Amino acid sequence: MTDSNDRTASAAPERGLDHLDAHYAGEATQRVSKSQGQIVWEQFRKHKAALVGGGVLIVMYLCALFAGFLAPYGINEYRRSPVAAFRPPTQVHWIDQETGRLTRPYIHDVREERDPVTRQRIYVEDTSVKYPIKFFVHRPSQPYKILGIWETDLKLFGVDDPGRIFLWGTNNLGKDVFSRVMFGGQVSLTIGILAVWVTLFLGLLMGGLAGFYGGFVDDLIMRLVEVIAAIPGLFLLIVLASLLRDPRNPIAQAIGLEMNSAQTFLMTVVVLGFVGWGGLARVIRGLILSARELDYAAAAKALGASETRVLWRHLLPSTASYVIVDLTLTIPGFILAETGLSFLGLGPSEVDTSSWGLLLRDATARGVSIQFVPWLLIPGIPIFLAVLCWNLLGDGLRDAFDPKKRR
Amino acid sequence: MVPTFIGATLLAFLISQLVPGDFLTRKELEPGVRPETIQRMRSQFGLDKPMHVQYVRWMSNLVQGNLGQSFVSNQPVISRIARPMRNSMYLAVAAIILLWAVSIPAGVYSAVRQYSLGDQVVSIFAYFGLAIPNFFFAQVLILSLFLLRGFTRDTFGYNEMLLPVAGLTSSGFDNMSPWQQFRDMARHMILPAFVVATSGMAGFTRVLRGQMIEYLGSDFIRTARAKGVGQRSVTYKHALRPAIIPFVAGIGGLLPALVGGAGLVEVVMSYPGITPAFLDALNSQDIYVILGLLVITTLLLMIGNLISDLLLAAVDPRIRYG
Repeated sequence: MTDSNDRTASAAPERGLDHLDAHYAGEATQRVSKSQGQIVWEQFRKHKAALVGGGVLIVMYLCALFAGFLAPYGINEYRRSPVAAFRPPTQVHWIDQETGRLTRPYIHDVREERDPVTRQRIYVEDTSVKYPIKFFVHRPSQPYKILGIWETDLKLFGVDDPGRIFLWGTNNLGKDVFSRVMFGGQVSLTIGILAVWVTLFLGLLMGGLAGFYGGFVDDLIMRLVEVIAAIPGLFLLIVLASLLRDPRNPIAQAIGLEMNSAQTFLMTVVVLGFVGWGGLARVIRGLILSARELDYAAAAKALGASETRVLWRHLLPSTASYVIVDLTLTIPGFILAETGLSFLGLGPSEVDTSSWGLLLRDATARGVSIQFVPWLLIPGIPIFLAVLCWNLLGDGLRDAFDPKKRR
Repeated sequence: MVPTFIGATLLAFLISQLVPGDFLTRKELEPGVRPETIQRMRSQFGLDKPMHVQYVRWMSNLVQGNLGQSFVSNQPVISRIARPMRNSMYLAVAAIILLWAVSIPAGVYSAVRQYSLGDQVVSIFAYFGLAIPNFFFAQVLILSLFLLRGFTRDTFGYNEMLLPVAGLTSSGFDNMSPWQQFRDMARHMILPAFVVATSGMAGFTRVLRGQMIEYLGSDFIRTARAKGVGQRSVTYKHALRPAIIPFVAGIGGLLPALVGGAGLVEVVMSYPGITPAFLDALNSQDIYVILGLLVITTLLLMIGNLISDLLLAAVDPRIRYG
């Protein structure tokens, strides 16, 4: 109600011009009949933090999409000799050390040595050979597919063999952290979005059924929601993820899953969605129950609309703005949950996927002292950024949908 | 409440049936274990019975306060999970105290000085606290403590950690006096409690700020000011009291949430709490320990919610039950 009043008020002065100039009149009518989507977009555009959040997210998702192109190495690529374990980030030189002039970026290879006192492994730059960083190089040994369709082996940057470039260092097996963070985004960023669809499906279905049929169905579904909410979420997630990922569990046996990495990934999505649908179902049910009593539902029914039409055309669309905002704010929670599960080794498996949580797990491996390998914590930064930006985006959307907060 | 609890135990029991085989299938592979022994143990634990019989047996034991036997150590489950639960409780209480001590002043400040520099700093911190994963934050803090030690060693020759970063007790804990023991545990708890409290602080401060702003703009505050009530009294007596009601009530829900939520932090900091115990039990497929932990934490959650409702009625005169 508030927004329509606002709009009439803001359009009122222009309406005075109607009879003077048909052109203005046209514009005024246009402004009055702005759609809900246009208003929300206009409001959203004024929300600077949400725009920044959305922008950063677009960049992050593009990075995940083109991970194969941005990452100089493959997801599990490492060399046996010499093992480049725990290498610190490679130093990129922009200034030629001989001439002191700005030059094209180059790196040196490093030599492994032992600190004479602490016996810690240290790497010393071997300044005899320069490896200039080359852009748009082909690496036929590491082909990849973009979106699973276009196969190519073009990499954004790389250096000639035997030099190697590790922008963010390496882990205990000598795998490149930078490349793994790029590939890790493919799992960590998509799993939240996919899980939200599971939540949406279960929430709409169960909430819709409960509100629509009432009685016994309603009781049963609402008790189920309460029961799931009664078990602490983290433990429910851990126990489900840990038992279901074992290929010998009864459900996998019944459907014939062998729990390869793709299936473990999907299992994680389903588990996250399953633990999260209760709140949405409860709200949908409440909205449907109360909306039945509202005038516009009664009006639609009086005009001869069937129960199903009232539900789909009138009741569910009225919940859309709530659902969009709620789901946007659910995604960061799922991202945190997935990285947490992966951190415990209960997320998507390590074989040919990577996840930011799994990468942080490297920092807690046996025999690793974090003060000597601080770069292993870098994968935490994209988690933080992604969650922060989704929160900002969600807050912006909530304000944009809220008629009380129109600016 | 009782039906929900029974439903939760049923769900937990069904989930436990997902364990491939059971503890004894693994034992069968061990050399030197006779098949008869396995058979005897199986009937002793009732694993040869159909699922619903097992559930009823387990449930009737549960009602009598018996959570069953651990497969791994042959102890009662209750004695295996009592210590981790106690440790997690300590952590939760410490975290709640910290949470309140920081968020109430921060929330009040940013509501009273709305849009000031301090308010903006508080909101930025709140966003950070919400977005940073607990386990990552713990790792970062551990790293900073190590770096700090490196710095103090190089500049002052002081080669000690400022705070312990792992476990709950130092070596030689048993020989300490009770006061020293308390101090030792408190020192070990500062870091994990701080990490656990962070994400709570963020949400708490933001909501308290919103509530306070709403109350500060309301009519009864204007009336109070018109009557000449001082700024201090208006803020703390008139606005803070109603604004804090949801949080007083929330304390019941906070306790079990923190017990569960401390999870990954406990793992990172090798804190001997519930989550590491839970992961151990999952690894060794110790079904009754898994079930026991699930049931007890569920019970805690439900009791916490009940306490919330009662507290809400106690502090808010507008709510009356029955």
